[in-house]
Amino acid sequence: MVDLSGLFRQKKVDIEKLTAAKDISGLIRALHSSDMNTQSDAAKALGDLGLEAMDVLIRALKKKDMDNRLVIIKALTEIRDPKSVPMLIEMLKDENSEVRWEAAIALGEIPDSQSIEPLIMCLHDHDKYVRYGAARSLVRIGWKPPSDEEKAFLFVGMQDWKVVEQIGNSAIPALTNMLHDRHSNVRIKAVKILGELKSPQAIPPLIQSLADEDSEVRWKTVLASEKCGIKLIHLPRGLSCRPKLKKNPLIAGFLNFMLPGLGYAYLAKWWGVMIFELDIFGTVWALKYMGETFTYETLFPIYFLLAVHAYYITVKMPVDPP
Amino acid sequence: MDFEAMKNDQDIRGLIRLLDHRKNDVQWRAADALGTLGEIACEPLLRPLVYPKIHVRIGAIEALGAIKSPRSVEPLIHTLLTDEISEVRWVAVLALGEIGDIRAIPPLMVSLKDKDRYVRYGSAKALEQLGWSPQTDQDRAYYYLALQAWDTVRKLGKSATGSLIDLLKDQHPSIRARITEMLGSIGDVEAKGSCEQVLRDPDENVRWSAVLSSIRCGVPIKRLPLELSKRQRTGHNAFGAAVLNFFFLGVGYDYLGRWWGLLVFESYILATYIFQLLFGLFMTIIIWIPITALFAMQTFFIAKRESAQLG
Repeated sequence: MVDLSGLFRQKKVDIEKLTAAKDISGLIRALHSSDMNTQSDAAKALGDLGLEAMDVLIRALKKKDMDNRLVIIKALTEIRDPKSVPMLIEMLKDENSEVRWEAAIALGEIPDSQSIEPLIMCLHDHDKYVRYGAARSLVRIGWKPPSDEEKAFLFVGMQDWKVVEQIGNSAIPALTNMLHDRHSNVRIKAVKILGELKSPQAIPPLIQSLADEDSEVRWKTVLASEKCGIKLIHLPRGLSCRPKLKKNPLIAGFLNFMLPGLGYAYLAKWWGVMIFELDIFGTVWALKYMGETFTYETLFPIYFLLAVHAYYITVKMPVDPP
Repeated sequence: MDFEAMKNDQDIRGLIRLLDHRKNDVQWRAADALGTLGEIACEPLLRPLVYPKIHVRIGAIEALGAIKSPRSVEPLIHTLLTDEISEVRWVAVLALGEIGDIRAIPPLMVSLKDKDRYVRYGSAKALEQLGWSPQTDQDRAYYYLALQAWDTVRKLGKSATGSLIDLLKDQHPSIRARITEMLGSIGDVEAKGSCEQVLRDPDENVRWSAVLSSIRCGVPIKRLPLELSKRQRTGHNAFGAAVLNFFFLGVGYDYLGRWWGLLVFESYILATYIFQLLFGLFMTIIIWIPITALFAMQTFFIAKRESAQLG
């Protein structure tokens, strides 16, 4: 491939000139520069421009564009103006986890007591990056957890497992929250610590986790549950609730009867759509050359057979091992 | 749902119906309630053992494990040996352990060798409950393998080789990789053949541990590449792709995983239809043959090149 990036190389941005001209939107554009120094110079310049620039930045933060938000939050972190705190707190609720993460870090850089409460909420986030960012910021702000339960959330966020284990039963809510993490290794960690607590109170979250989508998490859950004193015989039911990738034979059959071939496509057979196409083509062709009665009399029995076949192969599909 | 009232009324049929409830905890409490009813519930609970819904079978077996009636031992053994769902076999072995009837020992020794790790683990625990302890080296190996006590298995040394080889049938790649690794660390020449076979495993991690273990078991390294190459390829058949593209232009590309394959096929079908209207069927075929033949050749070569690169 020919490298075309040279054609689009960005012109070196003259931050001083932009500052002198009080070109706030120009400086905000400079925040998107791929050059780290330009980014940081632009952020500083915006900080120096004071209130007016701050208002524009905060307004720009309202645009629902992830890249834009990330760049502006970074600039706000460098400017460290307490006025940006309410907007950063707002960003902690963003749907994008990277924006939440960055906002949590930013609030640690601009210590303000009003961000404590929202950051504590972030310790309950399902994303480990956000939890880590919030925990670090809370420590920076100097927050001391008032209860063992909150202490557990803080140290789960900091990934300090030894402390979490020592907290004992009060750590169960924080560990239960970890079971919703996207990463299976985080869930395995939570399951293992729950097992080490050897407490009957850890049983309900462990039962939930028996139906985890990941087979290793499920296996580790069995071993952990046993340590917490649950009888093994109660576990197979929980395990049988795991997500099964088995398809519904009725849907496969119905699809193949109404739209021959798409039943196979539903079963992820690559040639399903091909049969569908051939059927459309064949039907048009037969209607033109063979007449209506002949077409319907021939095709319907075939559709019926295809439907039965799709139904049958779905029923016979092996179930994934637990 | 008033489980206490149902228990007091001995409403066995009602409780069995609740085993089919969509809520997990209702199923659980129904099974629990049935378990407290004692011998009287045993006979009616044997019928759901063949019910098509998995959680009903599990619930019934759970209750039978609590009732501990000797009458349920034979049917449970039958379920253990015939049911194809791992969770059902697992709960069956655990119930047999709870019931504590020594008739269950021989079938539990069979399920100690099950292809599923949960069933094996449950069997070891159930056998413990029945007061069984492994007598022969082979039983010991299966027993510790079921408990996944890998260090103990390693200490058993060469006497564990046979059991390890047998359990390569496990469905989980992580377990097969672990077993292969264990064969390597025991380093028994007897395991040579099996290690070589594992070189053909569909899972890449398992194959890699087979490479390392084969060498430790005394397979000369020069033999490995050829053995490894005998594995079932998950890649595509170049000839098949070419034939598909010759007859159904575009489907060959779809088969090779190109997202635009079906787009080409759609266009091909549409063009065929138009050609037919314009020139008739015969001319359409004459026009298409050289074109699709060229595409078929091109497809053949790209598929060949891809499979060579994938290895």
